[in-house]
Amino acid sequence: MEIICLQENFKKGINVVGNIIGKNLTLPILNNVLLTVEKKRLRLISTDLEMAITYWTPGKVKKEGEITMPAKLLSDFINNLPNKKIEIKTKDNSLHIKCENFKSVVKGIDSKEFPIIPKVRGGSILKIEALKLKQAFSQVVNFTSLSDIRPEISGVLIDFNSEGIKFVATDSFRLGEKTLSIKNETKTSVIIPLRTVQELIRILSEQGRDELVEILIEQNQILFKTPDIQLISRLIEGTYPNYEQLISKQFETNLILDRDEFLNTVKITSLFSSKINDLRLKVIPKKSLVEIFAQDTEIGENTSELKGEIKGKEVEIIFNHKYLLDGLNNIDSNKVILGLNGETNPGILKPVGDPGFVYVIMPIKL
Amino acid sequence: MTNEELWQIVLGEIELSISKASYITWFKNTNVLSNKDGQIVISVPNAFTKEWLENKYSKIIQKALRNISKDIKETSYVINYKKEAESAKKKKKKKVPSKLEVSILDEQLDFNQITVDKKTNLNPRYSLDNFVVASFNELAHAAAQSVIKSPGRTYNPFFIYGGVGIGKTHLLQAIGNKIAKENSSKKIIYVSSEKFTDDVISAIAKGEMDKLKNYYRKIDVLIIDDIQFLAGKEKTQEEFFHTFNTLYENNKQIILSSDRPPKAIPTLEERLRSRFEGVMIADIGHPDLETRIVILKTKIKDLNLELPDEILNYIASNVQTNIRELEGALNRILAFVKLNNSIPAQNQVVKILKNIISNPQKRTTHKNIIKIVAEFYDIDPKDLTDRSRKKELVKPRQVAMYLLRWELKSSYPFIGAKLGGRDHTTAIYACEKITKEKENNDSFEEELNLIRQRLYNYTS
Repeated sequence: MEIICLQENFKKGINVVGNIIGKNLTLPILNNVLLTVEKKRLRLISTDLEMAITYWTPGKVKKEGEITMPAKLLSDFINNLPNKKIEIKTKDNSLHIKCENFKSVVKGIDSKEFPIIPKVRGGSILKIEALKLKQAFSQVVNFTSLSDIRPEISGVLIDFNSEGIKFVATDSFRLGEKTLSIKNETKTSVIIPLRTVQELIRILSEQGRDELVEILIEQNQILFKTPDIQLISRLIEGTYPNYEQLISKQFETNLILDRDEFLNTVKITSLFSSKINDLRLKVIPKKSLVEIFAQDTEIGENTSELKGEIKGKEVEIIFNHKYLLDGLNNIDSNKVILGLNGETNPGILKPVGDPGFVYVIMPIKL
Repeated sequence: MTNEELWQIVLGEIELSISKASYITWFKNTNVLSNKDGQIVISVPNAFTKEWLENKYSKIIQKALRNISKDIKETSYVINYKKEAESAKKKKKKKVPSKLEVSILDEQLDFNQITVDKKTNLNPRYSLDNFVVASFNELAHAAAQSVIKSPGRTYNPFFIYGGVGIGKTHLLQAIGNKIAKENSSKKIIYVSSEKFTDDVISAIAKGEMDKLKNYYRKIDVLIIDDIQFLAGKEKTQEEFFHTFNTLYENNKQIILSSDRPPKAIPTLEERLRSRFEGVMIADIGHPDLETRIVILKTKIKDLNLELPDEILNYIASNVQTNIRELEGALNRILAFVKLNNSIPAQNQVVKILKNIISNPQKRTTHKNIIKIVAEFYDIDPKDLTDRSRKKELVKPRQVAMYLLRWELKSSYPFIGAKLGGRDHTTAIYACEKITKEKENNDSFEEELNLIRQRLYNYTS
């Protein structure tokens, strides 16, 4: 194969595909990226056998062909080259790279050893703007369970139904649900592995605002597709827990607080939390006041007061401040609603004026 | 040759002809799914493996297969994710048996504990799958099965009774969950009798009796737990009686539980009692040792953990009657495992469970028994030791003897001596008489239980 392309384009390509490489130790070929020159373009493919990323970049094709290269070396090398034309040529099993004053020969492995990337034959489910998809994923991805003990919650649920698309993640201590009201005809739900979602967010953030992502689903597989990039991944088997009943609509105590103020108060008070990250909220509706209190026998203690619109019963509840912050950080409205139903039932945090996001958080036992 | 053996031989051959890395990557978690008329279906863990085996290794695999059997014509590949997930799970379990991510001690509450369905009040944690069936509860379980099959028809109403912590609530909730799962249009309500009483009281207070009536009478399956607590609450009983009749007439399923048979529930209105007695009554007894071990194992399996059999045996043989206590003991061990990241040794187990197992025997004294019995029958303690043969004194005296015998394991001569210097044969006669009486008369048994309760409440 032989092709000439710009360092900038090559660099972008290797950065898109290179991130998932290097996690498999048994099969050396998986540390490589597959370079293919075909149909006037250079194609880069990487895989970790759970997902595969394909990237196409334009170039001046002289001869078609393919080879695999160690990803780490290739990316370090290309990233540091000047932004000029790069000439790439294969000779036997090595790659000759020429760029301005640099000339190098990199040893590769025959492309025949590279895993064959499965194809998704299923139909297209929908097209969605890259930015929207990325935002929806990023708003919930951090709540995903990191342990594999319950595989069904070790990924993000996407629930397609006639009213819209729901993105849900939970680690059984808190749960985030993001709803995009996009019309679509398919009714299905899939659980996407956490790593895939993280990778997708990373790739999508480099995409243009108006770029469309097409989603295709086949049994056990999902494909995200833009004109330049394809990401295929396995899906997690299993039934997602029936979480909807956790999101109660009515509250014994209802608080409307200033988001920034609340966030700041939690941050300050959390400095004094003990090892279990506990933060005590005492809600006093009569005074329209929340007392936030934390204490550690070795550090000291802190009490903060927060004014807000508060209705309903007086209640005292303990939350993990990390979980509280995670929720608040994913809300960007000026005001937030905190709904509570006693000290042992989950609290609900949601933005005022945006019905698309709900955060459910379990308290800590008194 | 089984499919497994066949595949083992094939794998053995392939292992020799390809590199170790490739072998591990591509042949891990593969197996032969079926072998029919020369068509072999091989299950593979993911799409990558499928593509690879189909395109790169199909020749080697075919060749290896043909070496074993000439009839094999075709091989095909299917993706079987479940296998992979299962084996991954198993591997995890073996690798870190002690790293418990289950929050048994964690102060942080999680959703699992509270996934009670608001509409039905049922907790999905209880299912028939994790209900261990053995001789002590098989009647109840079998009856439950037929209730699930045709709610409202075969066993209606269905009455379960048995002691504390032996799985009544579990069975009740499991029936509800199963019916809900199979027939989502059915309206199922699970209430404790306390909740029912509260509802009645607050409905009376608010003057919304009609609303309550309507609510309870539109239910398809009504499950009431611990019905014995309705005893003595007359208005609630009346309301329950009407609800019961309405549902019963409309062929709606009613399921009740109690800690004693209907006959033995004191101050239950006669018309209710007679209704309860005309129903399918199933009792749950106490689990035997083997069953207790099975229960512990099921529990552990649910949590995805492992514990050595010796520990389970120890728990099961020492906590004998109450399944809830059994789980309590197990939780203690698990908490220890979690805190220390190690499996406790036998002597540590004994230490951890000391509080639960050597539950100090409730102590009382002969003086106390005499005092309480006298108080209960409203007579002077002296009367018990006196010589009088009045009927109203004889019975209490015999009860006192019976209790001395069974609660304190006193000898007959001792009993006789303490109750006015009587002969030991008198004591023997008294104990036998009371035992007989107890068997024939449930309300008398209740009476004895009440005295026992007083006995231990006073001393403790």
